[in-house]
This record gives sequence, structure tokens and C-alpha cells, in this order.
Amino acid sequence: MAPVNLSHRRTHNLLLISKLLSLRDTASPLTLLLDSLEQPASPLIQEYIRRAKLSKVHVTLIAFETLKCPEGCDAFVSTRRKSPADIIKEVSAAYQPSPSTGPSKRRLIIIDAINPLLSSRGSDLSFHLPSFLGAFITPTNPAASKSDASLVVTYHQDVPGIPPQNPYLPSTFSILTYLATSIITLHSFSHILAQKAARDRSLVPPVFGLEEEQDGVLLGRLDKLGGTGATEGIVLELEHRRKSGRGVLEWYLLPPASRYPATQVKEIVTLLDDNILYNPPMESYGDDEEEPQSTFELGLTDRQRRDREGVVLPYFDAQHGDGPGEGGRILYDMGEEDDFDEEEDEI
Amino acid sequence: MPSQPPLPPLLAPYLSSQPESSLTLISSILGATSNWLVLRLLYSALSTSTNQTFGLDEHDGSKKKVVLVSFLRGWEFWKVEAKRLGLDLARLADKKQFAFVDGLSELFSAPQSANAAPTTSSPTGIPPRTSLPLRGPPGPVPGRGPAIAPAISASTSSVARGPATSEPGIAKKLHFSGRGTAALDIMEKDIIAVIEQVKASGDSSEEVLLIIDQPDFLLAATGTSMGIGATEMSEWVTGLQLNVGATVLTLAADSPLIHNASVSGNQGATPVEGEHASFAIGLAHRARSVMQLRTLETGAARDVSGVLRISRGGGISSGADTLDEKELLYYIQRDGGVKVFGRGES
Repeated sequence: MAPVNLSHRRTHNLLLISKLLSLRDTASPLTLLLDSLEQPASPLIQEYIRRAKLSKVHVTLIAFETLKCPEGCDAFVSTRRKSPADIIKEVSAAYQPSPSTGPSKRRLIIIDAINPLLSSRGSDLSFHLPSFLGAFITPTNPAASKSDASLVVTYHQDVPGIPPQNPYLPSTFSILTYLATSIITLHSFSHILAQKAARDRSLVPPVFGLEEEQDGVLLGRLDKLGGTGATEGIVLELEHRRKSGRGVLEWYLLPPASRYPATQVKEIVTLLDDNILYNPPMESYGDDEEEPQSTFELGLTDRQRRDREGVVLPYFDAQHGDGPGEGGRILYDMGEEDDFDEEEDEI
Repeated sequence: MPSQPPLPPLLAPYLSSQPESSLTLISSILGATSNWLVLRLLYSALSTSTNQTFGLDEHDGSKKKVVLVSFLRGWEFWKVEAKRLGLDLARLADKKQFAFVDGLSELFSAPQSANAAPTTSSPTGIPPRTSLPLRGPPGPVPGRGPAIAPAISASTSSVARGPATSEPGIAKKLHFSGRGTAALDIMEKDIIAVIEQVKASGDSSEEVLLIIDQPDFLLAATGTSMGIGATEMSEWVTGLQLNVGATVLTLAADSPLIHNASVSGNQGATPVEGEHASFAIGLAHRARSVMQLRTLETGAARDVSGVLRISRGGGISSGADTLDEKELLYYIQRDGGVKVFGRGES
């Protein structure tokens, strides 16, 4: 992908993430959150719920691993010992847009972890993942007025799935990534910084947690910098597929929830490249150090530089080829500050 | 060496506070078992003399009730080890403040010496895991005969034989019968019945702490051929979690069980490895905190038994609930006392 101007990215991609997180215009019907133990998706889900509350969106949580309804969600659907068809039924029953309440509200459906579903139904041939997910976005009951539903699905990347029963079928994870309209991969900011620091020195980037493959280590995260707040936050790697088919790739930084009030409407997500820790500003004092210290002003003002560039040097004149002896003259346009001296400046 | 307080001061805040409906995961490896930590947890929840031991009054007066479900260690082991800390589990069981659910001795409906496991000092999953799947479904299995004979002859030992309910201290013995979720449901019902008994007695406002010791054994011993996989086990844990205040779970996290099936090295992982990794990592995603025990990377040391890393799990609510992440060293002394200290301290 060609590098795009930073200010262009700043305007367009910040608008895009704002639209995606606030579920405006149903920009992304199916968002896939890829998280890991090193950076769980729960802060991002809370951010989704917070924004949904601000814009009065109905929130349904389909819980595969959550026990209690978190604050801010309107409907809580437990999936324990339920078939996918039952889940769909219960979810669509959880929200009935009544015509009396005016225009139908938008709806956010969150699946807190899809792994259990994928690994238990993998053997069940009647289970069809695309139609299961599709049923939430486009309810089967056409009588219900069309409500814009967005589906946010979390997938734990580090939980090994079961191998597909049919070797000629793609894995369920491939199907998920194929279906998703946006994919957000979550990274821990401190890990991103550590990896960047290593790359800047041409070292092998460090790995954390399970990837360390150390005996007995599940989680590598240790908040050594806890309290300073310096490296808190989540890095979101967004891949958004536009309707036109064009893809957008961008890296964002979501600050921790404690940094802003819950009612903040202004966008809090920034580009990762704009972060001062990730992309420190070029040190400008380096130029000053190189100049020798003296009482003379050795620099040039803008005007002096312009004038100097305007000077036609003798060898340009010599290239006209007017004949031997011709050319090579020094051509000088008098400036107003020049003091014309008849004797000296005779041409 | 001076004797250590039963509850190491550095660990006390982590052991005494398990918020409502939270899950704590303790992962262990072969060289660093979790018994001592579970015992400290029991002590922290059940002991009345906590404030004497380290000066601070961490106990807010509301003692907890505890239900311990153990799959790898018998009643005898827990009783003896707790006694060394000054905790009389048998008496607490009589008072219905504590209940022990035995998932070891008769899980597969086979009378077996219950004190076989406690005598070994490192009873993590590895040895049973290799031998137990051979045991197969309940019922007469060829090759069982010789194993029963010494067990019966040992019936004169301290562990009482005979009907399960008559054994003192053991509230319930779990049996695995049938297959798939139906078998898990029966066990779930048994455990919930015990939880209800404990809840009903005494002050019913006290919350119940459920400790499940090494349920991964159940997964390894049954497996997908019996219709039990990581998802079914996780649902089983969820079902139990719904009935208690807080839950603590211990699991093996040895490298082959976790990393062989990881995304990078997925080739050739056995079903047990795959299911175990999926179960353990899935639980870590749900847990509020994960306590990871491991040995020193630099090899064995004379005065360090292992490393305890306490991390926030994936299920911590990032709101008011805070948990400091920490990495500590611990040393188990010959008398069973445990010293916990930071790196560079002693």
C-alpha cells in the first residue's frame, strides 16, 4: 500500500474509526475483534458500550464467557447449553422495536467470545456460521421493522481451535475473517513500544506471554510501568473493507478509560503514528549544535537566500556558446541597497 | 530457619480478596505444584486467627465457606497438609463451613486407594494423564484385576472403605457415568448439592468459595471420545460458578500441554494437548487473575522453589476492580512453611 500523507490519514482514518466505534451509518455490520491474553478485548468492548449509551443504541450481549451483565448493556443472553437456533431466537426476542416509540433504534450485538461456539459446533454439520451470524444482522422475521444492527464478535486468537472435520473446507477462523467487514486486532501498547524499540535497533522484536513458549507462562503482561500511565492504552490495528472493495489499514491508539469522562463525546482515539512515545518528534536541536559559535551571523535570512538563488553563475552564461571569448561574464542585478560606484562597477 | 507465618504477608491481599463471581486461575507445572498455594487460600478463607499472624486485620469478620473439589489429591492429603498450617478441616467440615468433594477415589466407579496420590510430593497431571485414559469407560475393564487386589488388602489402612457417605469429612464422592454433557451434568448436580448444603448451614449470608483442584484431569481422562472437550468443560465450570460467590481453579500449564497445540506449532498436536490448551487459555481469558507457578529459568536453587507470577486475566473488569501485577519468588521449607519474597530480597 502506498504511503499516504499523514495529515490525510489523520482526517480520513480518524473519521473512519469514529464512525466504526460509534456505529454510525452501519459502516460495519460485522466487526471482528481479534484479541489475545496479552491484550484482552474487554476495554474495547466497554468503549463500544459507552459510545452506544451516548447515542442511545440498544446493546445486547451474547455471553459465552461472561457471567454477569456488565454495566450499560440492555439485554444479556446466556448461551449455556443452548443451540445456535435458540440463541438467535432469544436475541431477536430481546429487542422488539415497537412502532409507537418512533423510529427503530439502532442495535449493537456483542458476542464476547466466539471460540466455544466454533469448537463445539465444529462437528455439527447442521451448524452454518455465516447464516448464524447473518441471522442477527438481518432478522428472519420480515414483519419486524428494519433495525440497523451491528455485530461485534470477539475471537481469542491464542485459543487453539479444533481442526476442521472436512479437510477441504476452510477453517472457521478463515470464514470469520472472510465475512467480517472490519477486523480490529488488539495489541498492548507497551508491547508495541518494546517491539518498535527493538526494530529500531535492528534487533529481533521480543515476544510476550504464550509466544515466549516458556514452561508455566500463560501471561507475560506485567505492568512494570503501572501508575505512571505512560504506556497504558490499547493499540488497534484496523482493517476495514469498504463497500467499494478498497481496504483501509490503520493503526490507532485507544487511551485507557480512566483518562476521559464517560460522557465524553469528542473522539479520543488517535493515530498511533501521532503518539509521542511511538513516534518521537525529530530532535531539532541537533542542527544548532553543528553551527560554530561566533559573533558573526553566519546564517542567511529568507530574502538573502532568495537573492542568492537568483544569481546566474558565470558558467551558465558561458554555455550559450556565443563564441570564444564571449560568455562567462558575471551578471549582477543591482539591488536597492547597492551603492553604485562609477569607477569600480564599470561594465 | 525460623518458621514462617501460615499466610505470607506479600500474598495475603491476593488470597483474601476474591470478588463476587470472579474466577481465579492458578496454573502450575510439574516442578512447581500448586498445593501450597491452595492450602494458603484455604487458610485465608477459613482461619479465624488471620489477624494474629501478620498484625494487620485483613479479615473483615465475614469468614467464607469453602467447597473444595479435588480431582488429583485425596481427602487424607488435604487434611494432613492443612493440619500443618493449623487448620482442622475435619472439624470445619463438621461445622459445615467446609466441604470436601472427592473427585479422585471413585471417579470412574473403581474402588481405589485414596492415599496413593498424597504420598507423592509432586502429583501434577503427568503420571495419571498417561495411565488413566487407558482405563476407559466405567465398567469391567480387562487388566483391572491386579490393581484391585492390593487396594482391598490395604483397606485396613487409615482410609475407610465401604459406602462413600460414611467416610468422615468427605461430603461427596464424584462418579463419572455415561458420557458427554450428561455425565458432567450429574457431577455438576452433585457438587451443587454440596454447595447448597454448605450454604444452608449457619450464617447464610456468607459467600461460598469454590476451589476446583485440577479439573484438567477430568478432561484428560475422558477426552473427545467420551464427548467431553474444552467447551463442555468450560460450560461445566460456568454452571458451578453461577452457584457460588467466587471460584478458584488450578490447572496444569506445562509446556507440552499449552504450547504444542499453539497457533504457531499446530502440527501434530494430540487431542489432549489441543483440548487442554484450549481449556486453560479459555479460562485465562475468563479469569480475573491468573497466578502462574513455574520454576526458575536459571535452574534449581538452594533457597528458591519457584516463581509465582500474578497477572490480570482477560476477565477483569477494568473499572473499579484493580489488581497489582507482581512476580514473586517462593521457597517451601522442609517443615512445609512457605516463604514468599521479591526478587533480590531474601
